[in-house]
Amino acid sequence: MAVVKLEALSKRYGGNAEASVRSMTLTIADGEFMVLLGPSGCGKSTALRMIAGLEPISSGTVAIDGRVVNAVPAKDRDIAMVFQSYALYPHMTVRQNLAFGLKRRRMPAAEIEKRVASAADRLGLGPYLDRKPHALSGGQRQRVALGRAIVRSPKVFLFDEPLSNLDAALRVTTRNELIKQQHDLGTTTIYVTHDQVEAMTMGDRICIMNRGEVVQIGRPLDVYRAPADTFVARFLGSPPMNLMSGVLRRNGADHAVEVAGAVLPVTGFEAGLLAPFADRPITVGIRPEDIYESGAQPGCSAPAAVSARVAAVEPLGAETLLVLSLAGQAEECVARVGRVSAHSHGDAATLYLDAATLHLFDPQTGRALPRAAG
Amino acid sequence: MAALAERHPGLAAWFGYIRRIPWLAFLLLYTIVTGGPFVWVALMSLRTTNEILDAPYALPSPAHWGKFAEAWTASKYGVYFWNSLIVVGCAVVLLTLIGAMAAHALARFQFRGRKALRLAILSGMMVPPQLLILSLFQILLQFGLYNTLAGLVLAYVATQLAMTIYILEGFFAQLPQDLFDAARMDGYSDFEIFWKITLPIGMPAIATTVVLNFIILWNEFLFAIVLLTDDDKRTLPLGIMHFMGAHQLDIGMIATGLMISIAPIIVLYACFSEIMIKGMTAGAVR
Ligand SMILES: Nc1ncnc2c1ncn2[C@@H]1O[C@H](COP(=O)(O)OP(=O)(O)OP(=O)(O)O)[C@@H](O)[C@H]1O
Ligand SMILES: [Mg+2]
Repeated sequence: MAVVKLEALSKRYGGNAEASVRSMTLTIADGEFMVLLGPSGCGKSTALRMIAGLEPISSGTVAIDGRVVNAVPAKDRDIAMVFQSYALYPHMTVRQNLAFGLKRRRMPAAEIEKRVASAADRLGLGPYLDRKPHALSGGQRQRVALGRAIVRSPKVFLFDEPLSNLDAALRVTTRNELIKQQHDLGTTTIYVTHDQVEAMTMGDRICIMNRGEVVQIGRPLDVYRAPADTFVARFLGSPPMNLMSGVLRRNGADHAVEVAGAVLPVTGFEAGLLAPFADRPITVGIRPEDIYESGAQPGCSAPAAVSARVAAVEPLGAETLLVLSLAGQAEECVARVGRVSAHSHGDAATLYLDAATLHLFDPQTGRALPRAAG
Repeated sequence: MAALAERHPGLAAWFGYIRRIPWLAFLLLYTIVTGGPFVWVALMSLRTTNEILDAPYALPSPAHWGKFAEAWTASKYGVYFWNSLIVVGCAVVLLTLIGAMAAHALARFQFRGRKALRLAILSGMMVPPQLLILSLFQILLQFGLYNTLAGLVLAYVATQLAMTIYILEGFFAQLPQDLFDAARMDGYSDFEIFWKITLPIGMPAIATTVVLNFIILWNEFLFAIVLLTDDDKRTLPLGIMHFMGAHQLDIGMIATGLMISIAPIIVLYACFSEIMIKGMTAGAVR
């Protein structure tokens, strides 16, 4: 049980011109499952390794339960870490792997025995206790790695992409298993991934990073619904949010955007924030699921028709993706429509954007214009 | 042809043998070339010099097993053998410990001057021992280690250390860093990690250096003859000189002496060959 607090945490590796983690500030509550999400190379692992004590901190502080641990060596921080490669000791049996960390803490043999047995029981590792890691499947190895963290009952769990070496089906079951274990144990957890499905489903909150900086922190659905900038908008969601260039028009007290030949009423934004963009270009974002084939479909509250050419149709079974070329837009748009689509490749089609769901971004900075509360 | 083989399984087997004949012939030739001289010496070790001079390639009849006892006691092979065992044993233990620690440090830690230190150590491999021998003689004399087994042990450790570190560092560097990070998270200090992770996982490479160092030092002649003068302190390779008179060679006894000195190497190789081959073929752990 612990609160982990990062304050202006930074890391620049010797020899690199740019910092790998820049002024990261983040507080992880007691028992919280925090996901660090970001593209490859954005500094997630570096941040995690600084928390673990495996990497010296360039500046800023890491505090656990109010105590700054910058100078505390990894072995004394009472943190357990699960590595992407699992890092099981190849010369030890599963039992010895699990007990290795406990032995160092001079725990009585009976207590070690008990804890190993209970962890093995919890993870279904009983039959494999006397095997060496090379004789285990990928999923079993992953569970041993998890077990090695669990037996120690540490203050904090750190995970660095623990599922990325598993095949798709196993990844889903292991993901659920992991959520359940963390829930039962209630241990503060920091989980690194670049997989947004993992982030959305596992995290109490997610912290999105880009180029060493924290871009947005929030509950998964909040971040999904209100991305702080175009990077988050594109990064979270698959297929990603469509970003189009439009022009904001003022119409008395109301505003509207012209985009791809359609005029969409802008509602739910504060007039004061919109004012500087009047009659100027603005970036319009719309999620693929907010584009409809018919304006009468349920869920579509403010349909605005646009004409498009269908560049490709991708039937995925449960849904169909339409790749659309819109007039005056450099990039193609993706719409997520029903199981079957009436459209085929090359068609000229009319689709409906739900104006109630659109996002607006400053085209210069990429920052989102926030929706008014309520 | 396939149909023919199906009807006559015996024939198919014969075709298999015939296809392998060139390969088998090559292996046979290789075995004769490498093993032949060894067998010859083994045969001669059981015959007297006169018998050998009469018929060099004959079988030992009768076999003079007593020659081994004679070499061991009368020609002081017992003393030489123990000297060799002590010197080489100590040197190999020291080499393995110091070499593994140095290799672990070079492979795992980023510290200032690491590259320069590595270069300094490894360049030791390029200095021929003949160049070292004079200064080594001077230094050992100064420290009162000339003509002592301890002095020879130190000289051996110094000359073999570079190669030992070179082999071990190459292997240790391939071990995944996560393993060491995991051990740190499990609460272990750098020193404990060396003993509990690096040494056991590095066993195949360590076995390789143990065998290599043992063989090289067991046969070492130059340093031993320069740095030891007392007959009671001599090592096995010097012992063989006993049977080389100024005018004649006691070939029979030389062969007996050779067999005595080869025996430990064969035992060592039998013990370690399995793990060595594992190390050479498997590379790192995955
Ligand atoms: N030991 C190192 N020395 C120098 N630079 C490093 C080192 N480790 C990481 N970096 C750099 O720091 C940046 C962040 O790396 P990091 O491993 O934290 O990324 P990541 O977000 O974990 O990416 P991935 O999802 O690919 O694991 C990268 O640009 C990388 O090149
Ligand atoms: Mg990483």
